[in-house]
Amino acid sequence: MSFRKRNIGLSTGADRTPAATSASQPQPERAVSSPTATPGVRPSPDDGRPTTSTGSPSLDNLLAGHGGLPIGKTLLIEENGTTDFAGALLRYYSAEGVVQDQKVHVIGMPQQWGRTLPGLIGPAEAADEKSDKRKGERMKIAWRYERLGEFGAGVAGARAPAVTLGDSSPSSMDDSLAKPAFCHAFDLTKRLTHPSIGNITYIPIVPTNEPLLVSIQKKLQAIIASSPPHITHRIVIPSFLNPTLYPPEVGQPENVLPFLHSLRALASSPTSRVTAMMTIPLSLFPRSSGLVRWMEILSDGVIELCPFPHSSDALSTSGAATSHEEPPQGMLKTHKLPVLHERGGGSDQNIGQDWAFTLSRRKFEIKPFSLPPADGDQEAQSQARSDKMPKKEDLEF
Amino acid sequence: MPSQPPLPHLLTPYISTPPRESLTAVSSVVGATGNWLILRFLYAALTDAGLRGVEGERKRKVVLGLDLARLTERREFAFVDGLSELFCGPTASAPSRAPSQHLASGPTPRTTLPTRPHPGITSLRQPPPPSAGSDGPPQITKDAGQVKRLRLSGNGAAALDALERDITAVIKQLKASGLGEDEESEVSLIVDQPDLLLAATGPSKGIGATEMAEWIIGLQQAATATVATISADSPLIHNASASAHHIATPLETEHAAFAIGLAHRAEMVMQLRNLETGAARDVSGVLRVSKGGAWGQRDSAGQETWEEKEVLYFVQRDGSVSVFGRGE
Amino acid sequence: MAPSSLSHRQTHNLLLISKLLSLRDTASPLTLLLDSLEQPATPLIKEYIRRARLSKVHVTLIAFEALKPYDGVDAFVPARRKAPTEIMREVAAAYKPDSSNSPNRRRLILIDSINPLLHSTRLDRSFHLSSFLSSFIVPSGPTTSKPDTSLVVTFHQDVPGRPAQSPYTPSPLSLLTYLATTVIKLHSFSHILAQKAARDRSLVPPVFGLEEEQDGVLLGRLDKPVGKGTEAGGVVLEMEYRRKSGRGVLEWYLLPPASKYPATQLKEIVTLLDDHPLYRPPEDLGDANGDEEPESTFELRLTERQRRDREGVVLPYFDAQQGNGPGEGGRILYDMGEEDDFDEEEDEI
Repeated sequence: MSFRKRNIGLSTGADRTPAATSASQPQPERAVSSPTATPGVRPSPDDGRPTTSTGSPSLDNLLAGHGGLPIGKTLLIEENGTTDFAGALLRYYSAEGVVQDQKVHVIGMPQQWGRTLPGLIGPAEAADEKSDKRKGERMKIAWRYERLGEFGAGVAGARAPAVTLGDSSPSSMDDSLAKPAFCHAFDLTKRLTHPSIGNITYIPIVPTNEPLLVSIQKKLQAIIASSPPHITHRIVIPSFLNPTLYPPEVGQPENVLPFLHSLRALASSPTSRVTAMMTIPLSLFPRSSGLVRWMEILSDGVIELCPFPHSSDALSTSGAATSHEEPPQGMLKTHKLPVLHERGGGSDQNIGQDWAFTLSRRKFEIKPFSLPPADGDQEAQSQARSDKMPKKEDLEF
Repeated sequence: MPSQPPLPHLLTPYISTPPRESLTAVSSVVGATGNWLILRFLYAALTDAGLRGVEGERKRKVVLGLDLARLTERREFAFVDGLSELFCGPTASAPSRAPSQHLASGPTPRTTLPTRPHPGITSLRQPPPPSAGSDGPPQITKDAGQVKRLRLSGNGAAALDALERDITAVIKQLKASGLGEDEESEVSLIVDQPDLLLAATGPSKGIGATEMAEWIIGLQQAATATVATISADSPLIHNASASAHHIATPLETEHAAFAIGLAHRAEMVMQLRNLETGAARDVSGVLRVSKGGAWGQRDSAGQETWEEKEVLYFVQRDGSVSVFGRGE
Repeated sequence: MAPSSLSHRQTHNLLLISKLLSLRDTASPLTLLLDSLEQPATPLIKEYIRRARLSKVHVTLIAFEALKPYDGVDAFVPARRKAPTEIMREVAAAYKPDSSNSPNRRRLILIDSINPLLHSTRLDRSFHLSSFLSSFIVPSGPTTSKPDTSLVVTFHQDVPGRPAQSPYTPSPLSLLTYLATTVIKLHSFSHILAQKAARDRSLVPPVFGLEEEQDGVLLGRLDKPVGKGTEAGGVVLEMEYRRKSGRGVLEWYLLPPASKYPATQLKEIVTLLDDHPLYRPPEDLGDANGDEEPESTFELRLTERQRRDREGVVLPYFDAQQGNGPGEGGRILYDMGEEDDFDEEEDEI
């Protein structure tokens, strides 16, 4: 996207919050009249339901063929250990909401949290441009990995408007305005500066005379009820129940579960467009406990991150680490995916796949996982070659 | 894969006519949810030509052949909303309506009561138009005034009693609408995840496994036959068992007592679980149909003979389900 | 086991179970049935009711679980949302000894499951399980003719209980088993067979249902298409009977499926588990059919006379103990018989 300055969000021009930008918007009529043009919302290629991007193309593609998080659904991201990979996902999710002029509600975090959102690079497809070119040479062997097709050549990429690098002609610009990007690429080392970043609402954890979560839920409900119906909301709950943020009594089931239930009711309410994403530290609240299981039951999607305990340096020196690629930093498990598991589960071809994730400064990447052969272990290396699981460099599309 | 019949024939004997006064328990886990099965129960009940008192109307407009909105209008189906306002308390922002206002509108011979969104109803439908989200509510909750919304307030048995009154009132209205005959219509009741109520309240609020079981008994007495779904995930069942290595939380103890107790009271227990060998591309899960603790208690038992069975099932993208034996 | 003692045990223990199930002589005032999802108590309860009807016993069912009475129950007391005192009152009112009736009509009170009561949040500290249960059995107040009452209580072992309010009070299950005069634990016959088969091969016995601790499995039972209708049906009763003297009797019985006998059958249908051909195949009984000897080219057995002769042999160390001084004793003392072919040159004594 050479025609735009980096770190300034794309003004997609459509459907701004009236309070914020109504005076300066000459062209919103067309967009409002046709709801399909709502920025950041597009029909799912699977069943046409409206979806919105999580800000991470890799995660979008994982979500059972919808290419994004369906409106009205909640996503619970669990993380083992003390790392904060889940927090990065939340930042992408929030930044995407900001860039798309959606309303972002952050619970339990101070305003400073908004300043840690990653800086915008551009539409996600453009950021993948370089690898696309590289991919061309490898296409001839793609048939071997046919079964991986839907994931790697994800729907986000497949359906995206073709934007070519360096093409700054006015017509291209019109195209990108008419069909705004669904998902953007962000740089974690930069800071997001965007006109609507100030529109993030922060719901602090402050003692009230009501139970804490009840008051949070009421605030959320009031904000969403009072905003125009075409606004899309994102509810962001970082490190839910973390004792450094939340008072201990919040962890009682009679507080947590009604809150999640109400959140779910709020999200699935037909009169509003809400998605929610929350993270929870599994070290404090293990999956083997009944409470966390209930939280999973009440969430539409459940994803578990299991970061590798050792440092990534050790891995990068192994023979498996290719020159141009980061080694995986952990495993990712999908326990439940929005809509798919509501329906009964199982028909998604990504189900049962072992995933690894890699967080680099530009993206959170989720790839099929295969154990790298150990250095100098000829036997293992030959096995790895004969293994059905392709090496990860082959999986990059 | 060829298109599947709405009711897989292997399942038909188990879900078509739940016997009178019977309780059927459907257990599920996070990775193998039961909405598709509940939908089949609905389908079997609503298309049953032998629907006593009411001529079953066959509508094949929506997926699965059920137009629930229409059936609601025809007073053959009622939906009690346990999601929207269950925990809103008495001072919620939404205007609270007197229960009597809704009751007149919902008399139908079949009732379902989800305490979570009923994806069986919403998600299996035709894709909503892309414009959804403006003011187009899902089909079932077309008119909020038509759907009874449950709201939990207070503590202990009194809170449960209030919910029970709301639900039984709907059931009674349905029964009374039996085409003006003296005979009452039969009402099948589907209670979706009543265990949420227990998990979200607990003994500290005066609601334990016994109170929940008694609540279900109360609903059973109002309905002709009852289906209840419960979660049977390992942490919720086994953490409380005597062989567990650590002290179970009250949530786990109460849930296990309620779920196992429900299986003791059920004539049939349908258990959904994941494949032991891990997820597969063409299998969604395993369904085991077992005789519950109450099987054989009624004198008429033995008239409906069915065998315990274990089958695999696969939910396809369009929501259709195929059911097959292992290795088939 | 000697045939005589086995047959004695057979007779005695079959008489005992017959007496217990038919409630004769109020042999067991408080019977505790320990069941599970793998083997619910329903068949045994139905058997109690069947026998009670045959002998005109008045049957009361206190229902914490059942919606409707079982077939053959005379009085049905739903216990839902009722305080223990209320239940006691209703049960007392359910049967009034009528002078026109035979004066000593016996009474059977069934509690379909005690777990909901024990788990209730409404119970206050004034509730005592022992006094609650004994109120049904022991005549209270000045009423002249309280009938002989037997109380049969079902407890689901697999339903977890709530931790005790005080860590020093015994658990309800311990208390129940302590109070009960008879404890009957129910097992599924097919499971017992499977576990026995594994033990016979020195394998770990399989577990079923909840004990498998598998995600999503509440019940492990499955009618096996082959085993259905064959002898593998039925309920195994592991009985412990406490006599008044304090001595206990332990026995395992088999209650066949109700479809195997007519409802009016008076003859005892319960058998010892050991007598069942599937549990203990006949050849294992050994002595019972000792006349038939296996055919073999070697005769390994002794005749009666040979055995007598062998017993008559004085072994060397007996001789050594005679104390005839060092070097003496330890001889083989042997009386030659006619079979012995003694050769002076070869054999030495």
